[in-house]
Amino acid sequence: MFKNWWRRAVKYRVAYLFILPTIIGMLILHVTPIFQGIYMSFLDLSQFTLNQYLAAPFVWFQNYYDVLINPNSPVRIGLFESARNTAIYTIVVTFGTLWIGLLAALMVNREFKGKGLVRTLFLFPWVVPTYVTGILWGFMWQKEVGIVNILLKDVFHIVAEKPFWLIGPNTLWAIIIPTIWRYWPFSMLLLLAGLQQIPEELYEAADIDGASPWRKFWMITWPLLKPVWAILILFGLIYNVYAFNIVIMMFGFGAGFPGEWGDLLMTNIFRNSFMQWNFGVGTAISVLLMITMIIIVNVWFIYYRKAEESTK
Amino acid sequence: MPYYLKKRIIDWVIHMFMFGLLAVTLLPIGWMIYSSLKENTDILIGKIPLSNARNNVYEIMLDGPDLWVLTSDGGINKWEKKSLKEEDHTTAQTMTTHFLLDKKNVWVSSANKHLQRFDKNDLKKSKQFKLPLPDFDKAKVVNTTIVSGWGKIYFTMGYKGFEELLEFDPIEEKVTRRFSLKNKLSPTQVRSLLPFKDKMLVGLDKGLLKLDLKSGKVEAVYNLVQYLPIGISRLRAINGKIVISGNTGAFLFDTAKGEVTKTLYTGNVLGLRVHGDKVYVGTNRGFKLYDLKTGKMEDHAQLFRQVRVDGTVIKDSEYAPAEVATLAFSGERLYLGSTYGRVSIYNVKDKRVVGEGAARMGHLVISWVNYIDMWRNVDFGLYLRNSFFICGLAMVFAMVFATLAAYALSRFDFPGSKSFSMIILATQMVPGIMFLIPTYSNFVKLTEMTGFPIKGTYYGIVFVYSAFFVPFSIWILRGFFAAIPVELEEAARIDGCSPLQVFWHVALPLAIPGIIATGIYVFLQAWDELVFAWVLTSADTMTIPVGIRNFVGNYQNRFDLIMAAATVATIPVMILFFMLQKYIVKGLTAGAVKG
Repeated sequence: MFKNWWRRAVKYRVAYLFILPTIIGMLILHVTPIFQGIYMSFLDLSQFTLNQYLAAPFVWFQNYYDVLINPNSPVRIGLFESARNTAIYTIVVTFGTLWIGLLAALMVNREFKGKGLVRTLFLFPWVVPTYVTGILWGFMWQKEVGIVNILLKDVFHIVAEKPFWLIGPNTLWAIIIPTIWRYWPFSMLLLLAGLQQIPEELYEAADIDGASPWRKFWMITWPLLKPVWAILILFGLIYNVYAFNIVIMMFGFGAGFPGEWGDLLMTNIFRNSFMQWNFGVGTAISVLLMITMIIIVNVWFIYYRKAEESTK
Repeated sequence: MPYYLKKRIIDWVIHMFMFGLLAVTLLPIGWMIYSSLKENTDILIGKIPLSNARNNVYEIMLDGPDLWVLTSDGGINKWEKKSLKEEDHTTAQTMTTHFLLDKKNVWVSSANKHLQRFDKNDLKKSKQFKLPLPDFDKAKVVNTTIVSGWGKIYFTMGYKGFEELLEFDPIEEKVTRRFSLKNKLSPTQVRSLLPFKDKMLVGLDKGLLKLDLKSGKVEAVYNLVQYLPIGISRLRAINGKIVISGNTGAFLFDTAKGEVTKTLYTGNVLGLRVHGDKVYVGTNRGFKLYDLKTGKMEDHAQLFRQVRVDGTVIKDSEYAPAEVATLAFSGERLYLGSTYGRVSIYNVKDKRVVGEGAARMGHLVISWVNYIDMWRNVDFGLYLRNSFFICGLAMVFAMVFATLAAYALSRFDFPGSKSFSMIILATQMVPGIMFLIPTYSNFVKLTEMTGFPIKGTYYGIVFVYSAFFVPFSIWILRGFFAAIPVELEEAARIDGCSPLQVFWHVALPLAIPGIIATGIYVFLQAWDELVFAWVLTSADTMTIPVGIRNFVGNYQNRFDLIMAAATVATIPVMILFFMLQKYIVKGLTAGAVKG
């Protein structure tokens, strides 16, 4: 066993040469920081002890206690709200981008004039940088001068009073809609590629059997697209939990507080870490979030494997 | 219904729905570019192409049989006084203007076009006069004020640090004198002017200044911040005294005593006129009439119809209170001007509106000027260079390392390859901030220990970006190498190539399209990166997102400049994307469908 292992190592020794730069880079920027981060979450690393860095007082689970249990700790203010917002935001954005992307992919997968141009134009939002998305939609959501309210009230007369979008519960929609707008073209791109892989004969056979379009979709398209939407859901969940740019730039253009209904976990951590210099708490929340994500991703994998096996 | 007809109808509906979705998708981008070309004032009053908002009436002046209605975009409307019919119209095409009427001409002042003259009888005839103004920050809203007196026109600019009064001779058509307004309250900002007896009264943001024009010396300065905390926006003379007003109220000021003798009104004052013994105070809801003799205050509120931004009357609306910005008098008849270009004729005795009019749609100014302004105010060229340099270098490094590693992973079944690919996937599951906090601290510590600066330098950020994007690139590139037939390489090996030669001469050329696609994707991601750049760059190495963040923080209400900056940040990546779109789409979809 060991001999075999060694033989392979010698045989493919050039491979180690190839991965060496990557290994060094990842050691410095990925592996070391993660362990440091986990260690820092046990330290009392606030603005007073920042200079001592890793020699700061070791306080065991104090930070975790402050974040999860201690009812009097200031770091818990707004933490529940941001966790709730993150959960809603992630789920709505992930499935929203998936469904709109699928709808658009089905629509542009037909034969019509100017197909290529329409597909290209649909990809436009995906190229707009996320920080620009935040600034742009922050401007569009303005109460008096924003185009959304002008369209709602002055052009189409849908509402009687211009609503506030960046204050109160509406904020949640004000951050969800731009994110969906930014990311659904990417879903469309991948789903379209998936759609083009589905053999035409399957639909022809279904037509002969007299299947309705609805049935064709659920029995052929959706199951055969599974590899694509499974990946999209997985990466959607991961990326959206860690979403930051759009939200931070939308409120006060990076200087403001997103409010009770707009604050996400990432903006919360960033505030704790780099605005209040409370690195211990920041890393503690990060570690908790990371553990949660690992559990979610593993559950997803188990579910995916099971579904894969059951279809076989 | 025949089958083919039904199919065509369904197809048509889907088609319409698709184009609707396309319109909604593209609207924000179009709006961004469009807003970046607009005047900020137009944005702030909500002018859009579908329903043009009318500009606010800024001044109303009576002149013989004519009524001059002057709007905030420099619009000059000459109306017949009785019927409110338009006789002539033009626009000075500038913002934050101030108007003046003399016997022959209409004078318009503004910060960007200085002084303009329009012939009263033929508004097409106009002339522009450049004044010797200092170079100032055009990103700020700068108001100008002009008054006439002693056959001259006096011009000043409401800009902090500009403490000068220019005397312009309308006959000789040149600036004849310049007065310094430096005073003990300096630095101040000039808000209003009033020729009073033989002196010039200047309303400042901190008080009132008396200037002797003969000697050119400042005679007296009165600090009035306790009454008008943001300054005197209007000045009028009445019975040898003056009325001053601002955002907190209107007061009677005695120049002889040098103090406020009476409070006339408390609240935001938008318009101020005096007529005989009466002071007319325009407020947010109608106007107040204060009789100086009796000391009584009358309230007039139901003056205008309610309208939408485009000036159309809301159905069945009664007369309602609205902002009164300006007034003019003709016996008992009062001419009132308000927001959205509304003008009313009002009978003060009966308290009845007897006529209404609306100023013409404002001229929509579309120009490049915002881009020039923005470029002058922030060092955008530097940010652009930095972004290209950092993202480009990071892309190159990431691609070199990722190609090597991905090739090794897809071709060599070496011990540890499984766990290596697991680690690569796992890094994608860790929040970026988890890497950022320790990396930031490490950089600071390392610099403290060795004296070698890392945070805020190009090396630091390029290294971080390259290393950060490598795992994801490996993951995509592995798919490309896996798609290259192994037989080719085996044939090369049989011909006597070393593994390195096989990689260089066979595998690499075949993988180039994939490497380009991944590289562009990495470039786009790096261009989009905000948090690391925010924390790890300094003033010299700032990338666009960080620069924009600082910039928009300083210009919260200048949406035109903000949108111009946003457009500039978007255009380079958009061009890049559409030049290389084929590669990206093919590359990304190939990787994803297989993975």
